[in-house]
Amino acid sequence: MIVFDHVTKIYPGGNIALNDVSLHINKGEFVFVLGHSGAGKSTFLKLILREEKATEGHVYINGQDLGALRERKVPYLRRNMGVVFQDFRLIPTMTAYENVAFAMRVTNIPERQIKKRVPYVLNLVGLGGKLDRLPEELSGGEQQRVALARAMVHSPQLIIADEPTGNIDPELSLEMMELLTAINSVGITVVVVTHEHDLARRFNKRVVTIDHGSVVGDTEIPGEVRL
Amino acid sequence: MNWSSFKYLTRQGLHSMGANRLMTLASVGVLTACLIITGIAGLFSANVNSVVAYLGDQNESVVYLAEGLGPEQAAAVDAGIRSISGIAEVSYVSGDEVLELYKGYMEEYADLWEDFEGDENPFRANYRVVVSDLENLDSIVGQLEAIEGVDRVRAPTDMSSMFVSIQHAVNFCGWALVVMLGVVSVVVIHNTIRLTVFARRREINIMKYVGATNGFIRLPFFIEGMASGLLAGALAGGLVLGGYAALLHFAGEAPGVWRQVAASSVLPVSAVWYVVLGGFFAFGVLIGSLGSAISVRKYLKV
Repeated sequence: MIVFDHVTKIYPGGNIALNDVSLHINKGEFVFVLGHSGAGKSTFLKLILREEKATEGHVYINGQDLGALRERKVPYLRRNMGVVFQDFRLIPTMTAYENVAFAMRVTNIPERQIKKRVPYVLNLVGLGGKLDRLPEELSGGEQQRVALARAMVHSPQLIIADEPTGNIDPELSLEMMELLTAINSVGITVVVVTHEHDLARRFNKRVVTIDHGSVVGDTEIPGEVRL
Repeated sequence: MNWSSFKYLTRQGLHSMGANRLMTLASVGVLTACLIITGIAGLFSANVNSVVAYLGDQNESVVYLAEGLGPEQAAAVDAGIRSISGIAEVSYVSGDEVLELYKGYMEEYADLWEDFEGDENPFRANYRVVVSDLENLDSIVGQLEAIEGVDRVRAPTDMSSMFVSIQHAVNFCGWALVVMLGVVSVVVIHNTIRLTVFARRREINIMKYVGATNGFIRLPFFIEGMASGLLAGALAGGLVLGGYAALLHFAGEAPGVWRQVAASSVLPVSAVWYVVLGGFFAFGVLIGSLGSAISVRKYLKV
């Protein structure tokens, strides 16, 4: 599903964000990418989203070399993914329904299907009664669930969550992780990028640890995480 | 892009105008102000040009016929004059008519003029010729002088070259002003639109992350810019044409020379409204839509 083959990313100015990273994430896996601030997590994410290109090495998604991907093909790559951000990134002028529907509209899905699918997915994340609310009328946890609904509404093969619990309280964090686990249980690959060690320890999932741009740990047993 | 997406994006563009009403107000306001200033400069220039052209059209050249022309030769001269292109008016004045004219000028000496009647009349028949474009005066005078039976031509060539120079200067200055204001407008409007797009850069960023193509993101901004341009064009058109009509109304009621100038040479509203509105709509829509679509580009690189 996701392959990093000896990937190095050096930003203009000489900052080495990732250094010779090699990694395989298989289809249907649930992976925590763990690291403190400045470790290279964001660059890891940007390379998957093809926001940045690797300076050396190759990044493959479903066998496709992202370095060779043309700019105009990038939107089509992203349509196979769902992304949940720490700051939710909801469009403030759109209701919860419209925010979720937007992810389907960009793929030209007929309105009839959107009308069926969006309430269903919002219902799944527990927001069936808040379709018409603007983001500012929702709590942090609810906004995060709208973001999750938006990430999964078009049935992507991969969901990436960037610090999904960073802006919500611990109870809601647990809820969010349970939702992600449920999504993973139907075969969708889930990558959670976080700096919260406790969160990674609590779930019995694979943990890839990044530090100073290198993978320093890769284990399915939380107790063996090396830093 | 299918029809349902196009309809949705068009609705989104129009909806955004209301949702971001402060920014819409700013861009429509700036665009309207720029259109008004450019429109006033354009109308002023066109009217000064029209007044100068009117004054220039008051030219009259006198074509004197040679003495002792027979009826056939006179008819040939008449046909020769009328065949020249670029002449707006031709009128024949007989020697007797010239005598009557002078009698009228000096009524108190009318008795003296009686000695010049009949065969003693010293005045020659002539043609009064008005050319339609002063720039051709010299060439037309040359053609008139070349006609057999024409003695000489008296033409206001000095005055005509002065009017032609004034007209050229007015035309150049007027349109230079319009172009200059147009360029300033484009810069000001572009910056205003950039501000409105900047305020929504986060929205654009989100659209990119959910897989929207650049065209999909641009279209609502394009529609929004186009609608703002139309609105600004209508507002500016209404204000400029309303103000122009009011000005003509006051000039028509003014005493003396102003009324005469207004009646004879100032362009009426009926002659300018479609140019003003068409220009405003075209400029507004072009700047609004392209300005928005281009300003978005910077934020599409995600």
